[in-house]
Amino acid sequence: MSAVAAIMKKEVRDAVSSRWLVLYGFAFALLALGLSYLGQRNLGSVGFENFSRTTASILNLCLMLAPLIALSLGAGSIAGERDRGNLTYLLSQPLSRWELLLGKYVGLVTAISVATIAGFGVAGLVIATFAHSMDASTYVLLLALVVALVAVMTGLGVVASVVSANRVQALGIAMLIWFFAVLFFDLVLIGTVSSTSLGGAGLLTAVMLNPVEIVRILAVIQLEPDLQVLGPFGSYVLETLGTTGATVILSLALAAWVVAPVAAGVWLFHFRDD
Amino acid sequence: MTDKTVMVSVTGLTKRYGKASALDDLTFTLGAGEIVALLGPNGAGKTTTFKCLLGVTRFEGSVEVNGVSAREHGKDVRRQIGYLPQTPAFDSGDTCEQVLRFLAEIKGSDPARAGELLQQVHLREQRGVQVGRLSGGMRQRLALAAALLSDPPLLLLDEPTANLDADSRREFHDLLVGLRNEGRTIVLSTHFVDSLSEITDRVIVLKQGKLVLHATMEELQRGKRGRRFLVNVNGTEPGVLLGALEGIGIGAERVTQVNSYLEEMLTAALAAGSLEGDEPK
Repeated sequence: MSAVAAIMKKEVRDAVSSRWLVLYGFAFALLALGLSYLGQRNLGSVGFENFSRTTASILNLCLMLAPLIALSLGAGSIAGERDRGNLTYLLSQPLSRWELLLGKYVGLVTAISVATIAGFGVAGLVIATFAHSMDASTYVLLLALVVALVAVMTGLGVVASVVSANRVQALGIAMLIWFFAVLFFDLVLIGTVSSTSLGGAGLLTAVMLNPVEIVRILAVIQLEPDLQVLGPFGSYVLETLGTTGATVILSLALAAWVVAPVAAGVWLFHFRDD
Repeated sequence: MTDKTVMVSVTGLTKRYGKASALDDLTFTLGAGEIVALLGPNGAGKTTTFKCLLGVTRFEGSVEVNGVSAREHGKDVRRQIGYLPQTPAFDSGDTCEQVLRFLAEIKGSDPARAGELLQQVHLREQRGVQVGRLSGGMRQRLALAAALLSDPPLLLLDEPTANLDADSRREFHDLLVGLRNEGRTIVLSTHFVDSLSEITDRVIVLKQGKLVLHATMEELQRGKRGRRFLVNVNGTEPGVLLGALEGIGIGAERVTQVNSYLEEMLTAALAAGSLEGDEPK
């Protein structure tokens, strides 16, 4: 077994025994079930249309919770070892810094994804049972999007972990990233659009600066392909790129967001003198 | 020492943190199959020396382990080193066996060796016990077993007996002698020098990152016969002697227990410039 695989396996084992991840899985499942239940009750027996709406609600829940747990656990990865005085010991083993970082990263992404999929999956099963109909492929695509977001945010958390002196500092940086990406970015975007002539192209570029927004819009494309919910921006995207073009461009941007933080983390970790 | 017997070769080793030098131009060689005591007070540079030997920190100068450059081939060098940190920080929820199997996977060693090593360090009965439930001595022995997983020719042990009682320390020293007899080179940093004279082949004393004494025990013994010191303690503050001894890593509480090794310690203290002495007329 390679060193990366050994570190990854250990990270998954630690994550499974971590109360935080278990708590996250339960909380996610409960909230998703709650949203499903409320969605069903409020919309009555409208059929499976309510599935899309409920899915959208659960997706919004995902876009809040998944980055939070991914950033937090990513932030603890290297900085936590540093705090425990275990980083030098790990580095004293016959493995490279990139192997340690990659093993931890892949292990965390795997563990968080499994917890997220479990929560999302439970809700999906319940919705499918009550709604009597389910577009499973859409649901799986949304799951894939959330997993990609987990990969991005874990990577950003790992970068915070590498550059920080300790876990508290890393968590602070991670929370700032979460606050900006999940809560503050929308406000900045609205403010920018209303005060400048950003235009459709500018708005699309701005959206690509935030992986949470990329995932949100990709999800909207899956759920509401006419993009009416996005207003004039949706019309612009449809006219200039079409849903396929927009999906390709945004998917590429998301892929870049997955790769870039990990690459940056490896590079920065190489130059640390721990 | 011929090239064949050199296990560690350090030339002009310097480590700086900003403008401060943690290690200043260290040069020494260590032979295969030796037990080497690395002495010095806190901050002398012992752990930093270990980090440089492991190739996990940047440094100036040259460090070679078994002929392999630690700077250019750090991973290969680490394959040849078993490192025991001052405070082994294993996950407290892991069992002894899980710890060893995890490290064996990283080192590419046979995980089945875990059982054999637990037997060797007298922890076989604790193989399923969580690390958090082990005593300090047991954790230290577990860390030693971990260091031995890849059957390395060089062991770096950072304060391995600092938290052990006298019996555990003796037991640990017996383990070290057994490992030396298998042909391994063992470098250990320690404050407890009184009982080390029986097992140590070479002594290196660091002070503020500088090498102030590097001698084999034979050389120290020869020096002892040819040179005697009368230490003027009564005329000065007794604290001066204690301070000087602490300066070479011997705590005040050990002064009451010194034995025939006293002269070596004083020699070291004098070499370190920590103590002034007069030769008898």
